[in-house]
Amino acid sequence: MFGKGLIEGLRITIKRFVGPNLTEYYPEVKPNLPLRTRSSMALKPEKCIACGLCVNVCPNQVINLGSEKDENNKKVLKTYVMNMGRCLLCGLCTEACPTKALGLSQEFENAVYHREELLWDMMARSKQSNTSSGKVE
Amino acid sequence: MDALNNLFVNIAAAIRGLFADSHSFGADLTINSIVFIVLFLIMVVSAMFLSLVERKFAHWTSQRSGPNRLGPHGWFQFIADAVKMLGKEDIIPINADKFLFKLAPMMLVGVTLMAYAVVPFGKGMVPIDLDLGIFYFMAVSSVTTLGMLIAGWSSNNKYSMLGGLRAVAQMISYEIPLLLSLLGVVMITQTFKLSSIVEAQKSVPFIFIQPLAFIIYLIACLAELNRAPFDQVQGEQEILSGPLVEYSGLRWGLFMLAEYGNVVATSAIAVSMFLGGWYGPEFLPGWLWFILKIGFMIFLMMWARWTFVRMRIDHLMHFAWKILLPLSLVNIFLTGLGIYVYELIIVRIGG
Amino acid sequence: MTIEKTQEYSINIGPQHTSTHGVFRMVVNLDGEVVTKVEPKIGYLHRGLEKVAESRTYTQFIPYTDRLDYLAGPHNSLGYVQAVEKLMGIEVPERAEYLRVIFAELGRVASHLFMIASGSLDICGWTPWSYCTRDRERILDLFEMTAGNRMTMNYFRIGGVSHDVPDEFMPALRSFIEDMPEMSEEYYGIFFGNEIVQSRMKSVGILPQELAENLLITGASLRASGVQYDVRKAEPYGIYDRFDFNVPVLYGCDTYDRHFIRLLELQESRKILQQALRDIPEGPVMAKVAKVIKPPVGKVYHRVENPKGEMGWYIVSNGTTKPDRVRIRPGAFVNVQMLPAIAIGWKIQDLITIFASMDLVLGEVDK
Repeated sequence: MFGKGLIEGLRITIKRFVGPNLTEYYPEVKPNLPLRTRSSMALKPEKCIACGLCVNVCPNQVINLGSEKDENNKKVLKTYVMNMGRCLLCGLCTEACPTKALGLSQEFENAVYHREELLWDMMARSKQSNTSSGKVE
Repeated sequence: MDALNNLFVNIAAAIRGLFADSHSFGADLTINSIVFIVLFLIMVVSAMFLSLVERKFAHWTSQRSGPNRLGPHGWFQFIADAVKMLGKEDIIPINADKFLFKLAPMMLVGVTLMAYAVVPFGKGMVPIDLDLGIFYFMAVSSVTTLGMLIAGWSSNNKYSMLGGLRAVAQMISYEIPLLLSLLGVVMITQTFKLSSIVEAQKSVPFIFIQPLAFIIYLIACLAELNRAPFDQVQGEQEILSGPLVEYSGLRWGLFMLAEYGNVVATSAIAVSMFLGGWYGPEFLPGWLWFILKIGFMIFLMMWARWTFVRMRIDHLMHFAWKILLPLSLVNIFLTGLGIYVYELIIVRIGG
Repeated sequence: MTIEKTQEYSINIGPQHTSTHGVFRMVVNLDGEVVTKVEPKIGYLHRGLEKVAESRTYTQFIPYTDRLDYLAGPHNSLGYVQAVEKLMGIEVPERAEYLRVIFAELGRVASHLFMIASGSLDICGWTPWSYCTRDRERILDLFEMTAGNRMTMNYFRIGGVSHDVPDEFMPALRSFIEDMPEMSEEYYGIFFGNEIVQSRMKSVGILPQELAENLLITGASLRASGVQYDVRKAEPYGIYDRFDFNVPVLYGCDTYDRHFIRLLELQESRKILQQALRDIPEGPVMAKVAKVIKPPVGKVYHRVENPKGEMGWYIVSNGTTKPDRVRIRPGAFVNVQMLPAIAIGWKIQDLITIFASMDLVLGEVDK
């Protein structure tokens, strides 16, 4: 019969109309993200040996590493700045790190108002906060 | 219940009683101005509210929740939309025809408001009870075609010109099945007056006597209102809002007002001619039944919009001239045959 | 009284438009509503990826390959890593091969779902779009569970995949595969079975078989014109020769067939996913490769069956850590030629429908 497809379409629409609602009510209800979600970077400065492997492997030259030699002639980390405006969050730096000092975390509310605030000073962030991503709670 | 039924009629009689002669020119002028303002407010509020209902309906069919920030579950969103629209800049293109550009939305709103004058909202609640009721309504609402064409031509834009010409082709073709489907009802009741047509449906609504005419009317009024599946005048994916593309701010708001006002007016006519007007079981007043039946018609229209895709323009014209028009002529023929048989057999048996 | 004439006019369906899939520009000559000439103008999303590749190492270029056909997930990097492995002669472990097939087929399902969604959105069908996108969210959740990003996964590496899948991946994948037939029924009911859609799309934009072969059209558009050609069967790469699946072919050559064949390909991908889930072994996921990748001097050409067409990778290496030249042959870029050839004589509304059936993604066309 002509029109059978039209009636089938109407039936599907009305079935979904009275069906359940799938909206997540965002600012009131935070989403439940998987463990491995890549949303921002976190550094543990006490584990870093300033080898510079992360700087070399990054495709976009995001990381700026400054180190100095101490009394045993070993490298010690001085400054570590990441330009998050250029970061692809690809994860190659975390795979390259031999001591697992650099990691990814789940904090996704990272929007800022000025471009200078996108240059993250990772050592200062890890000192100021209690979460692993460096975000001040 | 009788008090609630006649609530507005009693208020009007009380206002008339304030004058010395309750049918003098001054009393009539006052009552008509008040009715005019009330109709305008009905049109504005229903247009704003319907745009929100449309968004909510669309989202509920895809398992979402629609706007849900302002007010309880988002039902105050139309206030924010109205305020935003009033605050926008008024842009007129350089080479546009200024007089026609400004005239088009005003014309559409004025014509839609004129069409509300003959709608029977309840028992004795017709603003102007013309003998020509339905004929006046059809004549006045044909002028909307001209409004779309003027908007399309005066914007000096190729996309709007395409939209305006499509509007003329579509709206002219679909007026003929619209009129002919209503002719069946007029043949049965022998009058154009809308309040008499409603009173003739005291025992059985005309949808059971004229089912084919109701379906043809529903399809044709979707085409007249430029709603999907016939909305290629404002085909958003091809010609980007058609004739409305150069309008911004309040001028665009007037177009939306005219569109949703037309939706309510056409549903009101369908309710009066086919679904029994303000008749209903006694536990609710008459004008409330009228509003509920209009709500049912709008639900059907929105359900069709969010399920079906758009038709192509030559299929649309083919559908109007080769399928709907012969069907409505067949309906008239069958109605005439039915009336002849009724008068021949049943009146003889009764009398 | 003079007789008035009509004239042709040209309209610009510009880079900002609601239904060009991205920033694509066409200059169209019209006679009333009938199209007489179409001229596509591309290049609004050109990012110079092939030049960028000359100053990145082989592993650093993998995140850039994800941004080519961004709707198909990790499928683009499959061709690239397999080309480099061919050049270096690396053998990939079994578990990594099966994981690569699973993610490639999931990317194919995601891309086809989005093509059906945007094809319906271009003819004002808002509801099928939301149903297809809702189901695509489940695939993006699977990607996020494994690698962390939803669309640009950066998961494949030269020599395998970067890490193993978590424990909750397999049950979630199994439940998605079980729900796929019901989803296809719903799409058929609301979109493909609808008479208005069929009248809008059948016999519109016919691409004859000979013209398709002459213009080097590849992918599902070729298979909807009657040619049974799929790179997975003609020149199997990876372990595709171990799977049992059909290659659907339709003979209508019109827009409806080009959309419908993607629904059929969804079901074939489901068969591949079921067989991969059944046969996947345990083991390592990365071969023993040096940290610094230096292929020998040479050239290689490798092609894969991308959801949008056939994608070819031509890599020239000069013995150092950075490639000398990387040339990408995208499927969508060559398929753009279809548009001026078959859109003549149809109306504007058909032009938009034909454009949607070509299945372009501007990231791939412009690189």
